[in-house]
Amino acid sequence: MKTKLTEMVGIKYPIVLSGMSWISVPKMVAAVSNAGGLGILATGPLNSEQTRKAVREIRSLTDKPFGANASLMFPGAAENAKVLLQEQVPVINFALGKGDWIVKEAHKYGGKVFATVVNVRHARRAEDFGTDAVIATGQEAAAHGEDVTSLVLIPHLAENLTIPVIGAGGFADGRGLAAALALGASGVAMGTRLMTTKESPLHENYKRFTMEKDVYDTLFSKRFDGILCRVMKTDAAKRAMKKGLSWPAAFFNSRDIAAQVGIPYWKLFIGVLMSGYANARQLAYMANAFKAIKVATEDGDSKTGVLPVGQVQGLIHDQPSVQELFERILEEAKQAQGKVNEALA
Amino acid sequence: MKTAITEMFGVKHPIICGAMMWLCKPPLCAAISNAGGIGNLTAANYETEDDFRAAIRETRRLTDKPFFVGITLLPSLRITAEHHKMYVRVCMEEKVAGIEFSGTPLDKVAGMEAVEGLKKAGVRMFHKVGAVRHALHAEKIGYDGIYAAGIEEGGHPLNDDVTTMVLTPRIAESVKIPVVAVGGIADGRGVAAALALGAEGVMMASRFIATKECEVHENIKLELVRRQEMDTVIYGKSIGLQGRGLKSKVIEEVLAIEARQGGFEELIPLLAGQRVKEAWETGDVHYAPLMVGQSIGLINDIPTCAELIERISVQAKEISARAAKLCGN
Repeated sequence: MKTKLTEMVGIKYPIVLSGMSWISVPKMVAAVSNAGGLGILATGPLNSEQTRKAVREIRSLTDKPFGANASLMFPGAAENAKVLLQEQVPVINFALGKGDWIVKEAHKYGGKVFATVVNVRHARRAEDFGTDAVIATGQEAAAHGEDVTSLVLIPHLAENLTIPVIGAGGFADGRGLAAALALGASGVAMGTRLMTTKESPLHENYKRFTMEKDVYDTLFSKRFDGILCRVMKTDAAKRAMKKGLSWPAAFFNSRDIAAQVGIPYWKLFIGVLMSGYANARQLAYMANAFKAIKVATEDGDSKTGVLPVGQVQGLIHDQPSVQELFERILEEAKQAQGKVNEALA
Repeated sequence: MKTAITEMFGVKHPIICGAMMWLCKPPLCAAISNAGGIGNLTAANYETEDDFRAAIRETRRLTDKPFFVGITLLPSLRITAEHHKMYVRVCMEEKVAGIEFSGTPLDKVAGMEAVEGLKKAGVRMFHKVGAVRHALHAEKIGYDGIYAAGIEEGGHPLNDDVTTMVLTPRIAESVKIPVVAVGGIADGRGVAAALALGAEGVMMASRFIATKECEVHENIKLELVRRQEMDTVIYGKSIGLQGRGLKSKVIEEVLAIEARQGGFEELIPLLAGQRVKEAWETGDVHYAPLMVGQSIGLINDIPTCAELIERISVQAKEISARAAKLCGN
């Protein structure tokens, strides 16, 4: 399928793997890129050295285009982004911050930069400083969407931007892909769908939950990680929302993060304190969420683990390989589009 | 266009107007039906049987095309269970083309005899739902179609909060009767997307407020053109009946009362239907909650209903032709 997105990055299918911590790891990224989509490495849980290693591992597994993300709100993200630039990663996807410097550097080696956005204001700003495409996150998406849903956000962005729009949130099959194309998108990003595939490292427990749960079984609140975040509705998630922010837990969890991203703890601690109360509170929230997501994805822990998922989990009932999934999606999209054609003829 | 909806009603386009209190009256209803869509006459505008019947006949005088009557089966201060039964009976007697029900299913309010009576009279019954379980119930008792309403719709979306993009295919794969997508649709792109998701048509409401024929103060129409998709908000969660409306001073007040856990008594004066009627008439958007959906971000002009529906149809066709090439059709 040829769209502005597939042409720009040289991929077969206009389907992007969302950068999900502990899921979008090198093997998964390579599986998606090898199958004809665009894999995006999640660098959130990695330090610079690990990021460099991960990029090289992807290159050893695929010769196809791939990407990597940088959630600029997290400590260590800017350093990771610098590594991605040094390694000349084909696509860099930044979120939760201003990525103008990434655009400038990436364009020097012919790299492309995608901005993850939730409204037209952010999208226009990103386009103004040279971003190559936006990933439009609708309310139904896993993790950090805002109020506006994909059905409204995609056409609104498409009519206000000249760069390609990639829809994220609500997409799991060919019906969704055909709908996204009709709304003016050049492709879709899939997180929840791709995390339940044979190649995905998500723990089997949560793959099973995703297949069993319905479209209603998510929670969308600021009480998990401090900003609006959609997660699977489980007893553990309900407990986490009820409790809200726990500072003592954040103290311990942030030590783990410092160790993981390779920053001395005192440096992280002082840095966070100096950043002001609102930011410190936000990072404390994120530190706890980080831990809850890690134990869910890696250990399948349903007692304390929490997993970001989209409403689209209710449309997911199996665990195909990425290749099977992509072929099926394209076939379904063709059928769905054929029906539209017939109706409108 | 040709879908299960156009076939069922013998209309040109599967574009249906959703019920809107104080706005869906004979002139707008007839304008939409005359343009090849399906207009809506909202029953609760009329408190007496005579007024309601007169409105149906007035609409028929203005159009010979099919139109829906909108009946909300929820208790309210002004409209009682007796009104609901009267509306259903009059629709039966007048043999209107279809009824858009929302709220409680008809069998729970008026018994199966009401369902059977409407069937016998040839009145098509559709129910607006936000979940598969409600769609299955409607199908089981004999409804003719489902309105699948996503969280982006104006009015009272179900508090399961599922978006149209996800709800439409989920319901379409669960029932055999036709599904109409509701919420977030205002143009041909939305129509093409809804059909791709498995819908047989779309319902739009907010879009029809900003048309020449809608009897509402000009300020309101201009405000909808001006406002963006992020300018609506959900309120009323604390009293168990959430609504989506245009961000305004009065909704800020409502949300503030809810935040400090103020009760029903405090909220009622701000939410009263009479206030909404005055706001529509005077054009003061800050006076009452105006229940519009996120699709207002896609409204950029004030056309006639005929221009609007024609444009939507043309746009949907163009998009479909382009998408066909992409998909190899």
